Amino acid sequence: MASVEIDRVKKQFGDIEVLKEVSLSIRSGEFVVLVGPSGCGKSTLLRMVAGLELPSAGNIAIDSQDVTTMAPKLRGVAMVFQNYALYPHMTVRDNLKFGLELAKVDKKEIGRRVNEAAEVLGLSAHLDKKPGQLSGGQKQRVAMGRAMVRQPKVFLFDEPLSNLDAQLRVKMRTEISHLHRRLSATSIYVTHDQVEAMTLADRIAVMYQGKLEQVGSPLELYQNPKTKFVASFIGTPSMNFLQGELLQSLKGNVQASSAGVRPEHTFLANTGQGECVFLGKGQIVLVEPLGSLAYIHVRIHDHYLVSELKSDRFPHAGETVEFMITIL
Amino acid sequence: MNRKSSALAWGLLFPTLAVLALFVLYPAAQSFWLSFQDVEPFSKRSFFVGFENYQVLFNSPDYWQTVRVTLFFLLYTVIPSLVISLTVAVLLDANPFFQNMFRTLFLLPVAISSSMAAMLWIFIYNPTAGFLNYALDVLGIHGPNWLADPDWALVAVAVATVWKEIGFNIIFFLAGLTSIPLELKEAAELDGANSWQVFRYVTLPLLSPTLFFVSVVSVINSLQSFGQIHILTTGGPMGETTTLVYNLYRDAFVKFRTGLASSEAVILFGLILLATMVQFRMAKKRVHYG
Ligand SMILES: Nc1ncnc2c1ncn2[C@@H]1O[C@H](COP(=O)(O)OP(=O)(O)OP(=O)(O)O)[C@@H](O)[C@H]1O
Ligand SMILES: [Mg+2]
Repeated sequence: MASVEIDRVKKQFGDIEVLKEVSLSIRSGEFVVLVGPSGCGKSTLLRMVAGLELPSAGNIAIDSQDVTTMAPKLRGVAMVFQNYALYPHMTVRDNLKFGLELAKVDKKEIGRRVNEAAEVLGLSAHLDKKPGQLSGGQKQRVAMGRAMVRQPKVFLFDEPLSNLDAQLRVKMRTEISHLHRRLSATSIYVTHDQVEAMTLADRIAVMYQGKLEQVGSPLELYQNPKTKFVASFIGTPSMNFLQGELLQSLKGNVQASSAGVRPEHTFLANTGQGECVFLGKGQIVLVEPLGSLAYIHVRIHDHYLVSELKSDRFPHAGETVEFMITIL
Repeated sequence: MNRKSSALAWGLLFPTLAVLALFVLYPAAQSFWLSFQDVEPFSKRSFFVGFENYQVLFNSPDYWQTVRVTLFFLLYTVIPSLVISLTVAVLLDANPFFQNMFRTLFLLPVAISSSMAAMLWIFIYNPTAGFLNYALDVLGIHGPNWLADPDWALVAVAVATVWKEIGFNIIFFLAGLTSIPLELKEAAELDGANSWQVFRYVTLPLLSPTLFFVSVVSVINSLQSFGQIHILTTGGPMGETTTLVYNLYRDAFVKFRTGLASSEAVILFGLILLATMVQFRMAKKRVHYG
């Protein structure tokens, strides 16, 4: 277990500045999730912590020790890659053992750790198979196991679940969560998946165009986004930004040049609870039912808006309805 | 496969099969048949002699000498060419910046015709006017007459052969190396491997199919070398560069002993087959196909 200190780190590839002064302090044992749109520099930041990429400026410290230019193997970090990066010519057992053997760990100890990891991850029956004979979920587990057995100070995950189907992703997410609680190792986790970020993170760091937009607990980011980007990026479906007539209709309740409304804070007229404001009359363009709730796309005064409704009866596309929003 | 598509398959294969049959299978079968005949020079008359041709060969010390030369030639060409081309390919793979320039440079000898290449080496090896002995002279060493010295001629021919072949091997190795995902090497690096260990435990095993293919082709090429020997030494001095193939050529087209040459061809074929089988056997355990 160790803290990670990223101090004013920059990265350039040729003339392109990919990271612009990123600073982030991660406490020992903390689970930090990096989110942001594709190409914003998440992987690059992670790879610099791993030592696979050198920062152009700034420092990185692990456990208060400056590791900015240290070789990856001396840093005590383990990484789980998006495509697993298992050694295809080695059995699962050899994949797990590889790092330990290189580190000249005692044979008995290697056996003990490999068996323990296999047990925890449900791989015991597959130890003698090659990666090519495993399912996606099993490969994912081997990749996790390979990181675990080395007992690193810091775990790095680069979109580890993005190649799995939705069901398996939920399952592995829960397992990662359990594992983290068990090992309470410092972890940095990159993902595109909102739900993964919200459920796993102690803190989420939102990145945008090479900068950290906001760092905070999942609820903090959801309830008090500091920038419009964070507001629109966190939460599915995205927050609605009111303009023109819609903004006018809020007059007296907000004084701002722009206002955001989360889809779940909109209601059909006469169904809202608490303090409500009338938003306008609009036509339903699309209904996306998800079971107990539905996403309703409406057009009000030429502005499009997404609403999340909880009901057992949803309106249909083409209907004209009146919308309200709650004011918190 | 149903009847219709199997007919289609044969139809599509027919042109290739016909060409192979006409230019490969038929001559091969004919060689095999002729190896049991005594063929009179300049006539079509021949009569069956059983294993006599083979007996003559096996009882001839000169023939055993060509076997020895061939095996040494194999040793001098295949191993250096594999080691050099693999090393160069690994270096180029790690420095993409140099890749394009050097790839062309190393591939150039492959593109030159083998007689042109051999002429080039004749100039280099020339004992009085050649570049090699000039360079050695500068260093204060008196170089031998490379192509005429029984101790050096085979080595000299082998060097010219390796020079011509490494470019071809490098291309294959580079292609093999490029297909190894960078992530695997990075994972090994994070697992604590130094660059030698990354090469030994990740790169090399994943390159093994390429390595296997290149070694089989190199062995076959080496056993079939002809052009450079013909131009550089014509098999001399004192038979020190007369390989099985060169001896076969002389028996067939200089001495017109068709029957004898045919049995030599059969023996050479057997040797190549054996070498390839040994390689396949050795590869069984060590080659990893992803
Ligand atoms: N080796 C490299 N050379 C040049 N540019 C690079 C290199 N690696 C990354 N980049 C660029 O840096 C930017 C950030 O890349 P990075 O992989 O960190 O993005 P990311 O946030 O992980 O995106 P994604 O979510 O799609 O994985 C991209 O614009 C990418 O093109
Ligand atoms: Mg990435």
